[in-house]
Amino acid sequence: MIKIHNVSFGYTQEEQILKNIDLHINKGECVLLCGKSGCGKTTVTKLINGLIPHFTDNCRLEGTVTVEGKNVAETQIYELAEKIGSVFQNPKSQFFNLDSDTEIVFGLENAGASPDFIDERLRVTTKTLNIEKLRRRSIFSMSAGEKQSLAFASVYAMNPHAYVLDEPTANLDEGAIEVLRAQIGKIKEEGKAVLIAEHRIYFLMDLIDRAVFMEKEEIVRIFTREAFLALSEDERIKMGLRTLGKKSVCSFPHIPGHSAEALTVKNLCCKIKENIIFEKLSFSVKSREILGITGSNGAGKTTLLRCIAGLIKQSEGELLLDGRPLKKKERSRLCYLIMQDVNHQLFSDSLWNECELSRTEAEEAKIEEVLRQFDLSELKHSHPMALSGGQKQRLAIAAGVLEDKKIVLFDEPTSGLDYEHMLAVSATIKGLAQKGHIVIIVTHDTEFLRCTCNRTIVL
Amino acid sequence: MSVKDIKKTNLPIDPRSAILLLFIANVVGFMQDSLLVEFATFTALTILLVYCGCVRQGLKWGLIFGLVLALQYHIFLIVPPFVAASFTVLFVYIRKMLPCLMIGTIIVRKIHMRYLLLALRKWRVPQKLIIPLSVTLRYFPAIKEEIMHIRDAMKLRRINGIERFECLVVPLIVSAAGTAEELAAAAVTRGIDNPVKKTSAVDIRFSPIDYISLAAGVLLVGAAFCL
Repeated sequence: MIKIHNVSFGYTQEEQILKNIDLHINKGECVLLCGKSGCGKTTVTKLINGLIPHFTDNCRLEGTVTVEGKNVAETQIYELAEKIGSVFQNPKSQFFNLDSDTEIVFGLENAGASPDFIDERLRVTTKTLNIEKLRRRSIFSMSAGEKQSLAFASVYAMNPHAYVLDEPTANLDEGAIEVLRAQIGKIKEEGKAVLIAEHRIYFLMDLIDRAVFMEKEEIVRIFTREAFLALSEDERIKMGLRTLGKKSVCSFPHIPGHSAEALTVKNLCCKIKENIIFEKLSFSVKSREILGITGSNGAGKTTLLRCIAGLIKQSEGELLLDGRPLKKKERSRLCYLIMQDVNHQLFSDSLWNECELSRTEAEEAKIEEVLRQFDLSELKHSHPMALSGGQKQRLAIAAGVLEDKKIVLFDEPTSGLDYEHMLAVSATIKGLAQKGHIVIIVTHDTEFLRCTCNRTIVL
Repeated sequence: MSVKDIKKTNLPIDPRSAILLLFIANVVGFMQDSLLVEFATFTALTILLVYCGCVRQGLKWGLIFGLVLALQYHIFLIVPPFVAASFTVLFVYIRKMLPCLMIGTIIVRKIHMRYLLLALRKWRVPQKLIIPLSVTLRYFPAIKEEIMHIRDAMKLRRINGIERFECLVVPLIVSAAGTAEELAAAAVTRGIDNPVKKTSAVDIRFSPIDYISLAAGVLLVGAAFCL
C-alpha cells in the first residue's frame, strides 16, 4: 500500500532531516511512528501525503515513495488527497470552513462528487463515527476534542485507502483520546492502512501491528507489537518514549513543608454570557506547592485559570491570598499565565528586550541572572521566534519571574512534548515552586501530572 | 458567519439576490434625491428584514432612521448654524448608507458563507478569486480569537500606551504565518486545488421572495432616477 524506499530528505540542499528511510505499510495495518521530538516523524508523514515534495521548494529528496503503486512526487496532490487522509496536530487550524457539515463534505465537493453521493457519505460518516452531536455546529463552539473528531470525520467522509495522523492527541483529554482510539479501530477494521506519529502512545497499544522507532533522522528499529510491549521501563525511558501503559512509574512527589502563604478559592462560580462554566469551586494552594487541575475538554479549566489571573470576573465567590480577598485588578498584578500557545505572549524582537519589557527600570544584573537560571543567556540577542518551543516557553516563564509574580499558572504546558522535554518542563516548574511561587497547572497529560504536582483536582 | 451554532440551513433569501440587492441598494441610496423614494426604500427593506427574521435589527435601523430625520428636520432648525452644518454631512451619509447596511445585516446574519461562495461559483467567478476570498473570510474569526489571547497576555505584563499596538502586531503576525501554513496543508490534502468542477451538497434556488424583492429593487432604481 505505502512504500517508502531508501528516502533521504532535507528542506534545503545541505540539511539532513531523514536518512535512508525504508518502510512498507500494508493494507489493514496500523503502524506507530515514535521517537523524540525532532527525529523526523512529522517529515515521514509529509512524504506520504505529498506535502513533501509538493509544498517544499528547493528541498533535497532522494529515493521514492509510492502509494498504491503511484509515485508521490509525480502525482498531483489532489489525486493523492483521494487516496490518503491526513489528520494534523492542531485542531484549531485544520478547518477550512466555519461549520461542521460543510467541513465534512469539503473534500467530496472538491473532488466533484455528486450531491446524492455526498449526502450518502455524510450519513454513513455520521453513523459510523457516532458524531450526531457534531452535526450543524459552528466550529467556534467546539472543544478541542470535538474539533479533532470533526477533522477525522471530514477525512473519513472522503473514504481514503490510507490515513496518516500527525500527533492527533496533542491537545486532547483522555475521553477525547478514547474517541479517537475507537475511530482508528474502525478504519483498521475496514482494512485501511494507518500510520500514526505520536508521543502519547499508551492508547494505541491494542491497535498497532508494528512500532517504528526513529532516532536522529533514521529508523533505528522496527518492533512487532509484542516486542514493543515487552520493552522494560528502563529501555523505554532510555529511548525517550512516553509511558506505554496508562499508569506511569513517576510517583507523586512529597508535599513540601508548610508555609503560611496560600491562595484560597472559595465557592467560585463563573459565567460566560449566562452559561455557567463551573460553580461552587473551592480549594487552596500553598506557596511551594504545585496544584494540578484536570478535567475533560470543555470542562472550564482555561476559564478557571483566566478567572484566577483576573482576566475575567467571577460571578460568585471569592479568591483570597493569606485570607485577604483579592479584586480582579490585584489578581492580574499577582498572577502570571503561561499560555498554551506561548507565541501569543512573546512581544519583542530579542530575548533581552523581552525581559526588559518586564522591568520598567533596567536592572541588567537581575535579567542576566534570570536568563541564566532558565538556560537562555547564550541566546539573549536572538529573536524569540528563532527559539524552539521549549525555549520559548522558558522565556515566557522568565518574563513572568522578572515581574515578581507570586502566582504562576500554566495552561497545558506539555502538549505535543516527548518524554525528555516533558521532564524538562516538570523540572522548571518544580524549580519555580521551590523559589516560593504558588503554581497551578491545567493539563490533560496524566503522566506529567503524576511527575509534577503535589495534588490534583478534577474539574 | 454567526458564531452561534447553525440551527437552520434553509435560507430566507437566495444569496444571489442578496448580492444583487446590495448593489441596487447602493445605487438607490446614492442616486435618489426624494424623500418619497427614500421612505419607500426604507419601508421595503424593513419588510424584507422582518421577513428574513431580523426583527430586532429592523427596529434598530428604523430607530436610527427616525432619529436622524428628527434631528435634521426639527432640532437643526433651532440650534446654531455651525453645529447643524458640522453634523449635516454625517447625517446625509448615514441616510445614504442605510439601505446598504440593512441588506448587509441580512447577508451577515442569515446567509452562511458556504452559500455565498456557492452563489459566486454559480456565477462562474473563477476559483482563483473564490479560494483567496474564502480563506480571508475564514480567517477573520480566527484573528478575533488570537487578539483575545494576546490582549490577555498583555494584561498580565506591564505594557502600556503606544507599546500596546506594537505588542499586538508582533505575535499576531507570527501566529498568522503559522496558521496560514497549517490551514493550507489541511486544504491541499483535501484536494482544494482539484481542477474538476466542484459540486455542492446544498443547492440554492430562487423563490417568489427573490423575484418580488428584485422587482421592487428595479422599480426603486427607476424611481431614484426619475424623481
